[in-house]
Amino acid sequence: MKCKTLRFFSILILVIGIVFASAFHIFGQEVKVSEWNIPFLNTITGPIASIGEYMSWSANRAAEEINAAGGVRGVPIKIEIIDTGVDKDKAMEEMAKLVDSALVVMGPVPEACIMAAVPIAVKAGLFSMVSSTSYEYAVEYFPWTLSWYPITEEKLPPITAAWAKLHPDMKTVVQFVENWAAWPPMAEAHAVGLESAGVKMLSQVDVPTDAIMFEPLVLKALAQKPDGIMLTCNSEKAAKIIIELVKKGWTDKSKILVFSSADDTALYTTGGDSLEGISIYNYIDLNLDDPRWQAFREAYKKDHNGIEPASLSTNYYDSVYMIKEAIENTGVTGDPAKLAEERIKIRDYCRNVKGFKGIQLTWDMTDGVPTGKGTFLFEIENGEKVFKAMAK
Amino acid sequence: MSEVTYYFLGFAGIYVLMGWALYLPYRVGQLNFLIVACMAITAYFGGFAAREWGWPFIVILIIGILFGATIAFIFSLAIGDAPCFTVVIVGLTSVFIVKTVIENWRTLGGTIGFFHIPGPNNMLAIIYSLLFLVGLLVFRIDHSRWGRAASVVFIDRDVAVTLGVDIKKLGMFFQIISCSIAGMAGILDAFLVKSLSPEFFTFSMIGYLMCILFVGGYTTMWGVILSAFFLQGIPLMFPSNIASWRLVIYGALLVIIILLRPEGLITRKMLWSIKIKSPRYITN
Repeated sequence: MKCKTLRFFSILILVIGIVFASAFHIFGQEVKVSEWNIPFLNTITGPIASIGEYMSWSANRAAEEINAAGGVRGVPIKIEIIDTGVDKDKAMEEMAKLVDSALVVMGPVPEACIMAAVPIAVKAGLFSMVSSTSYEYAVEYFPWTLSWYPITEEKLPPITAAWAKLHPDMKTVVQFVENWAAWPPMAEAHAVGLESAGVKMLSQVDVPTDAIMFEPLVLKALAQKPDGIMLTCNSEKAAKIIIELVKKGWTDKSKILVFSSADDTALYTTGGDSLEGISIYNYIDLNLDDPRWQAFREAYKKDHNGIEPASLSTNYYDSVYMIKEAIENTGVTGDPAKLAEERIKIRDYCRNVKGFKGIQLTWDMTDGVPTGKGTFLFEIENGEKVFKAMAK
Repeated sequence: MSEVTYYFLGFAGIYVLMGWALYLPYRVGQLNFLIVACMAITAYFGGFAAREWGWPFIVILIIGILFGATIAFIFSLAIGDAPCFTVVIVGLTSVFIVKTVIENWRTLGGTIGFFHIPGPNNMLAIIYSLLFLVGLLVFRIDHSRWGRAASVVFIDRDVAVTLGVDIKKLGMFFQIISCSIAGMAGILDAFLVKSLSPEFFTFSMIGYLMCILFVGGYTTMWGVILSAFFLQGIPLMFPSNIASWRLVIYGALLVIIILLRPEGLITRKMLWSIKIKSPRYITN
C-alpha cells in the first residue's frame, strides 16, 4: 500500500513537474507584443521617391499576406514606413529614435542615408536589413547588416558575358557610365564579363549626373564605331541615350544592354517605343511560372498603372518574409527585456538562413552574403520582357 | 541624453556654424558658397587623416581650420571685392569641382564614399565649446570697426569707399573667417557622422543654409541660431507624415518670411527695441 501510494505521488509529482516545466518553457517563449512593428527607413519623398514607393508597396504587401495568414506567431506584423528622403541628417535622427526599441530595421534606402545612419544602429547592436544596396556598402557594417546581392565582381561578369555570347558578331562595346554610388565598380564588373567573352571595351563615355543633352555623348560613343552599347546610368538617362542612339541610326537594339539599376519606371515612361528590342538584365523573371509571383505581379501592375514590377521591387517583400521566418524559427518574443539577445537571434538567422524561399528564387545566405541568386537577361519584345539567359 | 537629442543638437550646432559662415560675408553683400566646398574638403581631409594616418582630433581640427583659411585667401585675392553674383558663381562652381574631384578620387572612396572614421565619442561637448568660441568671435567682429564698415558696404559701396573703407580687404577678411569656420564645421561633421559621401555636400545643402540665413535673419548673428535649431527640429517636432513635407515647409517658410519680414525673424531693429525697453536703458 505504502509502496503504491509512494509510486502514485512520485508519478504525480513528476507529471506536475513536467507540466510546470513545459508551461514555463511555453510562457518563456510567449510573444510579448500585440503587434510586430518593423520600422522601414525609406525614401518616399525627393528625387528617388518612385523607388521608395514600390519598396514600401512590396513590404506592405508582404505584411498584408502574412497577417491574412495569421500573422507571425499569431501576432500581426506592421511595417512602419519612415520617410528619410535622401537627407542624411534625417536618416540619422530617425535611426537614433529606433535604437532603443526596434527589434530589427529595414533600410535605410539611399546609400548616403545608409552611410550616415547605419553606424548608429551598429553602435546600438541593431540589425539593419539594407536590402536595396550593393555588397560594397553592406559589407562595411557586417555583421550588423546583410548584403542582398552577391559580391559585385562575381555577380555581374557572367551576365554580361552571357549577353556577349548571344551576339557572337559583337566584337567591340562602348559603356556609358554615370559616376554615382556603386555604379563605377558595377561598370568595371560589366567590362570584365565582356572581355572574358572576347569583346573589346572601347573608351568609356562618362554620363554627367546633371546631364540634360545626350547627343554629344552619343556622338562620342558612335565615333568609336562600337558593335554594342552598355548603359550603366540611371533609368531616365538610359532611356534618353537609347532615343538618341535610334535617332542617329542605331538599328540592332538587342546590342544595347541596360543594367539592373536602370530597370525602373522612368526607363519605360521616358523610353516608350524606343525600348523595343533592347536587352536588359535584372534580378527578377517577370514570366516566372509561379502563382505567388504572378499574384504579386498582377497586384503590382494594378497599383502602378499597368507597369511591370521593377528590378528592386521584390527586395523588401522578401525581407519581410525573412524577418518573419527569423522570428518564428528562433522563438523571438518581442520582450523588451530581451531586446539585445533577440536582435542577435534575428541577425544571425537572416545572415545564415538556408533555403530561403524568396518570391523569385530560393537561396542561401552565408555570413551575410547570398549564394545561388541568379541574374536574368531579357530582350524587350512587343513591350514585354522576354527571357534570354540566366547567370549564377 | 537620447541618441536623437544627441544628433539633433550635433547637427543644429554644425548648421549654426555654417549659418555664421554664410552670414559673415553677407554682411558685405556676398553670398559665399565656397564655404560648402571648404566643408567638403576639410571633412574628407579629417576623415582620411583620422582613419589612415591616425592623427589626433585636435591636430586635424587646427589643420582643417587653416585649410579653410588658405583656400579662402587664395580665392579672395580674386573675389574679395567681387559683386554678389560673381561670388555666387565662384562658390557654386567650386562645390561642383570639389564634388567631382572627390567622386573620381579612389583613395577617398570615390562615389562609394568613405567609412569608419574614428574619433572622439562625445562630439557634442566639442561642437558646443567651439560654437561658443566662434560665437564670441562673430559677436566681436559684428561690433568692431570691421562690422560697422561692413554695414556701410552692404548699404552702399560708394559711400563706404568715400568713408575710407577698403572693400577688398574687408571682403577678404570676411571670406577667410567664414571659410575657416566652414573648415571647422567640415571636421566636426565628419567626426559626428563617421562616414562621408560626395552626396553629403550637394546643392541642397546650399539651399538649406540659405533658408537658415534668410529665415532667421541676415542682419544679426542671432537669427541663424534660431532658424538652425527650428529648421533642424522640424522632423522631430512633427509626426513623420508631416515632417516628410519638410522641404516644402522650408521653401514656404522662406517665401513667407521674405514677403512679410524681408530681413528675417530676428532683425537688428528688433534687438535695438529690446535693448531700449530693457531697464538698463531707462533713465530719468
